[in-house]
Amino acid sequence: MKKQMTSMITGAILGLGLASGFAADMSDVEKLFYPYKNSVPTHEGLKSGVIINQSNVEKFKDILDEGMYQFIKDGWTEMSVTDTMAYELNKAYINATKVNLNKTTLGEKTGDIRGFITGRPFPEEPDLNDPRAGEKLAFNYKYGYNWGDNGSVYPFYWKFRDLNSAKIERTLKFNFHFLNLKHRVNDDPMPDLPKNPGGLFRGIYVQVLEPFDVKNTQLLIHRYEDDLKRDNAWLYLGFQRRVRRLATGQITDSFLGSDLMIEDFEGYNGRISDMSWTYKGTKNIMLPFYKHNEQKLTEDHKMSDGFQFIEFGGKGGCFPNIDWQLRKVYIVESVPVDPNHPISKRVHYIDAETFTLPRTVIYDRKGELWKTFVIGQAHPDYHLPKNKGSGVAIDDSFMMLDVQGAHCTTGQFKGQIDSALSPRKKFTVQNLRVTGK
Amino acid sequence: MTKIIRQKLGTKAAVISMAAAISMTAISGAQAGVSGDGTLEWNGFVENATFLRKGVGLSKFRNTVQLELSKQFNTGSVFSELSLNVTFRGTYDGVYDLNKSDYGNQAGGAINLQSTFSGGPGFVPHGSGIVSTGTAFFGFNTVVNPNSGLIVLGSDAHANNEGGVSFGVPVRPCDVDSRGCIAGYMDFDSDNLRFPEFNSRMDFLREAYIDGSIPFSNGHELNVRLGRQQVVWGRTDLFRVLDVINPVDYSRQNIYDELEDIRIPQWILNMEYRMGAVGSFEDLNMNLVWNFDKFRPNSLGQGGTPYQILGAGGFFRGMKNCWNNGCTVANFAGLPVPGTTGLAATDFAPGSIGIRGANMPEWSIGNTQIGFKVEGVKDGIGFSLNYLTYLSQLPSLHGGSAGPAALNNFTGEVKPWPYLIAFDIEFPRIHLFGGSMDLYADSIKSVFRFEAAYTTGEEFGNTLRPELYSESDVIRYVIGWDRDTFIPFLNKNKAFLFSAQLFGQHILEHELEETPASLAGITGFGKAGIPDWKDSWTMTFLMKGWYMQNRLSPQILAAYDFNGGTAVISPSIDWLIDDSWRLVVAANFKFGKGPRKFDDCRSCNPWGPFTATPFHADALQAGSVGLAGFEPLGRFRSGPIGMASKEDEIQVTLRYRF
Repeated sequence: MKKQMTSMITGAILGLGLASGFAADMSDVEKLFYPYKNSVPTHEGLKSGVIINQSNVEKFKDILDEGMYQFIKDGWTEMSVTDTMAYELNKAYINATKVNLNKTTLGEKTGDIRGFITGRPFPEEPDLNDPRAGEKLAFNYKYGYNWGDNGSVYPFYWKFRDLNSAKIERTLKFNFHFLNLKHRVNDDPMPDLPKNPGGLFRGIYVQVLEPFDVKNTQLLIHRYEDDLKRDNAWLYLGFQRRVRRLATGQITDSFLGSDLMIEDFEGYNGRISDMSWTYKGTKNIMLPFYKHNEQKLTEDHKMSDGFQFIEFGGKGGCFPNIDWQLRKVYIVESVPVDPNHPISKRVHYIDAETFTLPRTVIYDRKGELWKTFVIGQAHPDYHLPKNKGSGVAIDDSFMMLDVQGAHCTTGQFKGQIDSALSPRKKFTVQNLRVTGK
Repeated sequence: MTKIIRQKLGTKAAVISMAAAISMTAISGAQAGVSGDGTLEWNGFVENATFLRKGVGLSKFRNTVQLELSKQFNTGSVFSELSLNVTFRGTYDGVYDLNKSDYGNQAGGAINLQSTFSGGPGFVPHGSGIVSTGTAFFGFNTVVNPNSGLIVLGSDAHANNEGGVSFGVPVRPCDVDSRGCIAGYMDFDSDNLRFPEFNSRMDFLREAYIDGSIPFSNGHELNVRLGRQQVVWGRTDLFRVLDVINPVDYSRQNIYDELEDIRIPQWILNMEYRMGAVGSFEDLNMNLVWNFDKFRPNSLGQGGTPYQILGAGGFFRGMKNCWNNGCTVANFAGLPVPGTTGLAATDFAPGSIGIRGANMPEWSIGNTQIGFKVEGVKDGIGFSLNYLTYLSQLPSLHGGSAGPAALNNFTGEVKPWPYLIAFDIEFPRIHLFGGSMDLYADSIKSVFRFEAAYTTGEEFGNTLRPELYSESDVIRYVIGWDRDTFIPFLNKNKAFLFSAQLFGQHILEHELEETPASLAGITGFGKAGIPDWKDSWTMTFLMKGWYMQNRLSPQILAAYDFNGGTAVISPSIDWLIDDSWRLVVAANFKFGKGPRKFDDCRSCNPWGPFTATPFHADALQAGSVGLAGFEPLGRFRSGPIGMASKEDEIQVTLRYRF
């Protein structure tokens, strides 16, 4: 306890010099990790089983983000309501947050974080008067328990769809793998993997399985612990049998022709220092949180183990047929530092409990609405048996809708919290060559 | 027996066409086929590639069926992963049946060869040289070597050889006309040309290898890949600096096809010890490659085929015909006839000039090829260090004093003659030391790629040497630059890829000297030595865009040969119609100077004093005084772009994947 107090004091002192300090206490942590312990948010007329559609959307306008409100109003989709339920994150992560409470501070530059060990770096309610509040929330997302210490989407189907004709133009089949090399809380070795001379924080490895023209394409991203250091990324092109280093432009470019750029993965997949972050407020809105096993599932791509993927419907077949629930969110805007970035800003709706990014709205360089991103979060206890008790909100379905281009990309996940699927060797450049032909 | 084999081969076209038709109608979707237990996957494609060449017509009508299989095995305690991977490819190129007059059994015809000797006709038929039968040992049997089925060497690259040397090249498939066919090297018959994969080396089996990984307790892993395969080294596109383990097939589409499709798979043991992060290296790996296959050279095309890099196939076939059957050589002999000028077309006897044969290395341990590579990432920079010892995939012509014993057409004496253009083809051993690296420069948002190799043992034609070749160490390098850049008025949603590469070659022991005639400023004479440029550079530029969710991709690929002064521009549009169908429409246009001249060794005086020129101070002293022409060595000055300068094409490729 004495040690902890010392750390708290040190953190506060450092914070005074570098960024506005805020000392959280254990009760703050409890409230943050268990926001629905005592009560859940409510809204008049909202209850499980209600369908929000064109006829009643005005009644729920206040609890819908701008994009979803418009889609429902236009009759593009309906929203099935379910009760708000707790998604308790992995206990080891929560405990790590408590152990390392108030040890983390921000440096002078955006992206400069100091003292962080494990857990949630800034377990505090954001303050509109804190100019770094948005950045702290971004770091909480970055160091969230998003796929645990490691996870896989295995497999992962993407469909390119025409919004107007509902024609499926392309179906891509991937495997995605994630590995945290640092700040691990659940899988040995902890907190850091040994032999990490480059100081990597995280690796993302993507393998394309179908169709033929992109088969064997592989993507590897190395994100450094030093957020001010540029990611390294490599692409293996099957038809060239060659590993190519990716330029940053390709991180902010359409990934394999989809409506996503690599930077869009998981809601935001870039450096914190690449953006200016602004906290815009806290609100209760409808988010795509659901029990996978209780959703309408598709017969397409049914797996041999019986796993079935989320069904899509609505306008253009772009909208996941899933339940939504009213949840507490932090609204954060991220504006690219690079003036040549293809977007002007993103508005993220961060789920306050899990720190996932289930809703993101993207604006083009002119500031006009360009894309809207939904990532459905399945409760791990109602998913694959292996995911039960993992304390991970499972990314389970996504829609990236380009409202200007009248086009969308949808995603159907088979998320697996299984360290065996993401061995460290997958996250090396050489693995691209070995796995390729 | 031959008939039976031919009947079998003849059915292959029908089989392939039928397979293509069945596939196109009965199979839908581009998802791989998978066995019930998920351990066996298969997929493939059928494809038609139809190319039209300016002034020729059909130059390619290739129909392909490719099938790819992958089988995963349950692993025991040794292997963490084990799989078998097989790729079959069969093609039928209908150009030899549909355009017989240019490439098939009716190709070529009777030719006339230039003779600038003012005392005779300006052109003479093959076999009717001014100097011919009746003069010493000159002349050849036109019954054995008739004036039919021939083209004039280089006529597909330059309409007029401008007083240079030339001779006839047989252009019909080797079963139709065996003249000039080089056993074991360039001896393709009609079915070999129509069905290039169905040969004695079973090239229809493009890949067949076992791939396994053996983990170690320290976290390291040994990956073993054994079988027929492609092994790719290096980081550059289009150029082969380190990517030289597999030979390539230039007969498919000269230098313009994807390397993936033209690498000739080899039986190789490829072992890689993967250490992952070690010390200050973020990734470190050791690689051993042992190519234990029987030697295969690059396929350069053959006289009469539509694609030949540097026009080498035609030159070799013409030279081989000269050796076997004799030939008429244009503008060769200076005759001591008072009041006349120019050089007379000359009929050489068999066994006097030309190519005697190719000494293809037999299989032996000593003739296998081995390489080592260390590859990794340090401080964010990818790098490799490479060593490879291999047999040259390009031929080396050993002539003159190192060539075959040849008939002196003046005296009848048979022996190797210094500077005589009588050759054997050899494939010398080369040692390659190289490296590569890539890095990202954030300030200019660009990726840079570097690749370099230093080789020893390479041989070059050299008209200064009595054996007409010399050895030199060579440095080759490529600097590549890639950048994604938005061009909002062309596409506001998707960046364009700009990629440029500069390829350089430096021949360290390069020899090129003025000759007595060139020093005297005599028109038509130049320097003698190595025709390849001492320093040469080629630049490539790619601009590629994507529309319609990457399903429509226009691009412009261009290359410029600084030394040859020639360029090629290849615009194309790649349309992915759906997950199964793909259409590529492309063009290939060349510009620039085209063919170049170089010392052709007509003035090498191998048979002094009879072949001496006024510029030979000693009529018995052999050696070139630099008389030059397009053929045969000008091709090395022109480069592969210049030598194909008249091969502008429109190309349409349609593929269906299943």
